Amino acid sequence: MELHQVRYFVTLCRTLNFTRAAAECNVTQPALTRAIQRLEEEMGGPLLFRERSLTQLTPLGRAMLPHLEAMLTAAETARRVADEQLGRQQMSLRVGLGPAIAVARVADVVGRLIRFCPELSVQFEEAGAPALVDSMLSDMLDCALLPDDPDLPDRLHRWKLCEERCVVVLPAGHQLAARDSLSAEDLAGETLLVGERCGGFVLRLIEASAHAFTMRRCGGSWVQMLDLVAAGLGLALLPDALAIGAGLISRPLTEPQLHRSVLLTLVAGRPQGAAVAQFVKLCRARAFA
Amino acid sequence: MPRLHDKILAQRRTMSDEVRLAYEVSVAEMRAHGIGSSALRLGDRFPDIVLPNAEGDLIATGDLLRRGPVVVTFFRGIWCPYCRLMLDALVAALPEIEAAGASLIGITPETGGLALTTKRNHHAAFEVLSDVDCGLGLGCGVVFRTPDIYRRLLLKYGNDLAARHGNQAWFLPLPAVFVLDRDGIVRWRFLSVDFTEQAEPEDILAAIRALPSGAA
Repeated sequence: MELHQVRYFVTLCRTLNFTRAAAECNVTQPALTRAIQRLEEEMGGPLLFRERSLTQLTPLGRAMLPHLEAMLTAAETARRVADEQLGRQQMSLRVGLGPAIAVARVADVVGRLIRFCPELSVQFEEAGAPALVDSMLSDMLDCALLPDDPDLPDRLHRWKLCEERCVVVLPAGHQLAARDSLSAEDLAGETLLVGERCGGFVLRLIEASAHAFTMRRCGGSWVQMLDLVAAGLGLALLPDALAIGAGLISRPLTEPQLHRSVLLTLVAGRPQGAAVAQFVKLCRARAFA
Repeated sequence: MPRLHDKILAQRRTMSDEVRLAYEVSVAEMRAHGIGSSALRLGDRFPDIVLPNAEGDLIATGDLLRRGPVVVTFFRGIWCPYCRLMLDALVAALPEIEAAGASLIGITPETGGLALTTKRNHHAAFEVLSDVDCGLGLGCGVVFRTPDIYRRLLLKYGNDLAARHGNQAWFLPLPAVFVLDRDGIVRWRFLSVDFTEQAEPEDILAAIRALPSGAA
């Protein structure tokens, strides 16, 4: 397939009108029609219903549109980076960080992006998943790292970046610190800290096990939760990727084993700045440990 | 040393009837649809691109061209046995390619760290860029949608391109090699709709050496 065929098709999907699409693409209508026909041959069927006054996407057309659009964006963003660099335009990237997801997850990617676009301004926002989704939908954020959740809206594009497993964080002097790994049974009778922005592992542990735990609610983020662990107020269940401070240790929870996937998410179909597009490409291209 | 072509013929002889059928039907279908007819031609300018390399840095082709001519090779991924043969042949030819003043970049549609896996598996000392969502392939006119019969075959044998590419499009590049002069103009190309065919390193080398002096 050809770049111009894809561009004509994407424009036609937006306008649903051959005359207007041809004008927008600066070509004659027969040229646009021919290009669409060739694309249809390659895709293996009609992409559009053509009726006298109405142009509609076929199911195949609807299925192919997001893929062709993504490919077109990928083909065109590369140029925009060069242009924006040349023009020294202010480039920005706003990333949301979901519950118990640290900046460290993407710090290396951001560093490499900044090496390429030194003028880039980067902003991070830590919050619960629903708040970050709202911020993305209202264009206050470009993308967000979120734990996988079936309740995420369909409008979000998502790519799995990595899998994290649950660890128990406890003071180094705690009696359980001598163990290599811990089970639900070991934690029975201990006080567990529960926070809405800390990964949700405690609630999953309660669902998965028959033991009774003492719980202490704790607002704030995982950073504050670690402070409370250090102060001896309870133990925390957190993803293994977080850096914990001096005086604390972590032990894997092996019975039950709890995991979660971390996703890169963004609103589908929204035009992205060049820096955002490159950030997403860098994240998708690499493996996250 | 046997030519790459001979190794490809040997590999092709190992196809099961099921694979052969899917291969033959797919190639016939792709030929009938004129796939590849819009690929970059001699004299065309190669698109300016910025893509992540295997090590996770952004690479601009314009920067590579400043060092001299560039050989760009598109391949389908490390699941493809013909691509693996081609990569080994290029790894063997790399010292001569570099001695001729050119650099080599491989382009894969694969994501999720598979570009790095490719480099490691093949001990490849050249850049392998991840063409996320096939944007560069589209700009070069070498992308096609995997025919249904071939998609089913790949899935049956565990090659889920949706997972490997991070999208549900099932787009792939044709085997294509472009030799670019310092100005980014295509001076030689190899292109085949038959995805088992690959450019012979000797021919690539001859193309680099044939570049007008000053270009190389």
